[in-house]
Amino acid sequence: MLREHFPGLNKQVHAKPLVYLDNAATAQRPRAVIDAVNDYYLNHNANIHRGVHSLSESATERYEQARRSISRLINAPSEKDLIFVRGCTEGVNLVAQTFVRNRIKAGDEILISHLEHHSNIVPWQLLCEQTGAKLKVIPMNDQGELVLNELDQLLGNKTKFMAVVHVSNALGTINPIKKMVAAAHEKNIPVLVDGAQATPHLKVDVQDLDCDFYTVSGHKMYGPTGSGVLYGKAEHLNAMPPYHGGGEMISKVTFESTVYNAVPAKFEAGTPNIAGGIGLGAAAEFMMSVGLDKIAQRDQELRVYAEQALGEVPGLRLIGTAVEKSPVFSFVIDGIHAHDIGTIIDHHGVAIRTGHHCTMPIFQYFGLAGSCRASLAFYNTEKEVDVLVESLLKAKAMFE
Amino acid sequence: MSDLNKLYKQAILEHNRNPRNFGQPDSWTHQAEGLNAICGDQVMIYLTIADNRLQAINYAGESCAISMASSSMMTELSTGLSLDDWQIRFELFKQLMDTGNEVQSYAELGEVNTLVSVKKFPSRIKSATLCWYALDAAIHGRDTATTE
Repeated sequence: MLREHFPGLNKQVHAKPLVYLDNAATAQRPRAVIDAVNDYYLNHNANIHRGVHSLSESATERYEQARRSISRLINAPSEKDLIFVRGCTEGVNLVAQTFVRNRIKAGDEILISHLEHHSNIVPWQLLCEQTGAKLKVIPMNDQGELVLNELDQLLGNKTKFMAVVHVSNALGTINPIKKMVAAAHEKNIPVLVDGAQATPHLKVDVQDLDCDFYTVSGHKMYGPTGSGVLYGKAEHLNAMPPYHGGGEMISKVTFESTVYNAVPAKFEAGTPNIAGGIGLGAAAEFMMSVGLDKIAQRDQELRVYAEQALGEVPGLRLIGTAVEKSPVFSFVIDGIHAHDIGTIIDHHGVAIRTGHHCTMPIFQYFGLAGSCRASLAFYNTEKEVDVLVESLLKAKAMFE
Repeated sequence: MSDLNKLYKQAILEHNRNPRNFGQPDSWTHQAEGLNAICGDQVMIYLTIADNRLQAINYAGESCAISMASSSMMTELSTGLSLDDWQIRFELFKQLMDTGNEVQSYAELGEVNTLVSVKKFPSRIKSATLCWYALDAAIHGRDTATTE
């Protein structure tokens, strides 16, 4: 679907047509995004929120227009609730250090899940080291689903914050986030949702989820690398101290004191990734023009097809078989290390990821050092899944 | 022969299938772990040094075929060597794996020269070199090595 919009797909690798199945690492970008980035550098190149000259004004307008587009994509109440960040990693760190740090002390608990990416583990471990708080983990079952009947018990008197992933990057599991947020809110515990792998596949509505914070990664949802947003409820963002100090985040500076700018500028110190933000806005517009429901539906068609096709490869074991899943397939094959599979199928033009996918605790659970991971996007085809399967069979033949 | 077939040539696949000196021995004097966490190669080296010689070298762990074959070949080549002679071979192996070096084989390295084909796959060189750096770590009393 819509492959012609993605020039990066039209490539040969080792003289074979590229089969790009590493979308969970980073997606390809549509022409509209590449054009928006180029258009900024070619026609509107100036710093934002500063000059009175026309070019600065048109750059600022484009940047703020992008914020409005992303706000509509995730149905935020206002674009002022969106902070431009480098990606989900920065969003999580920002919340850890400016929201949670002020409300946590030694002995308190932060709850995460077994499915988290390292980027939603390590910032909390750092915070625990700084404050003496403890990290608690929602367990996972053999299908790679969270064991939620333990959630109520884990959300205890000492729990001050919950940070959970919407869609697992390693296994594709889609977590029932709305229910999880509601369970935490019943006990007045605020929640951050890591949406890195959700926005490329699902229609996300932050007001419906009622989460306190939601992170969006630009490059996973067809936007530029180094772009992203953190959504936060206005009441929180207004009360939080700044994260980085510098230009743009102030309204008055003397050597004695500084008055901070209003949200979101308060959290956007320094000249930002202007082209990246504008490109991310274009990605949001592109996705909405395609239709979020249509993207989600196409993803599920591909998931069903790929699940069955991979199931027919002898000796292949899928890791993560959740009922609710995005088109992400972690697998191992008897007798061949993932790294060898990755190298061999690359020679057939197939790009997948191998290793632990920045989720080492998941693979510790399954007793594996890592896996192969094929992750699909709506522009992939059934034929490409067939090429993946054929290349896996060739890899097996090579090792027999 | 394609680069891919050169990489996974029979000698390498055979060592991967039938690794020599594989498994934890009953005793050893030195040990070190080689770990490339990102790609998932892990190799534990068990070494016995006596009279300034590498008397016995075993390895265990889970690795890709390139790492397994390299470990297997390395233990065969290195067992019985004096520490000085091993050091000379380690330096030659590093040169063999150097993408800036066009020499295709060194007489002292014997069958290990088959690994020269890895050079065409820069992301895999670290798989081939891991066990060598782990053995070097074991010899010099360090616990771990990585080539990532």
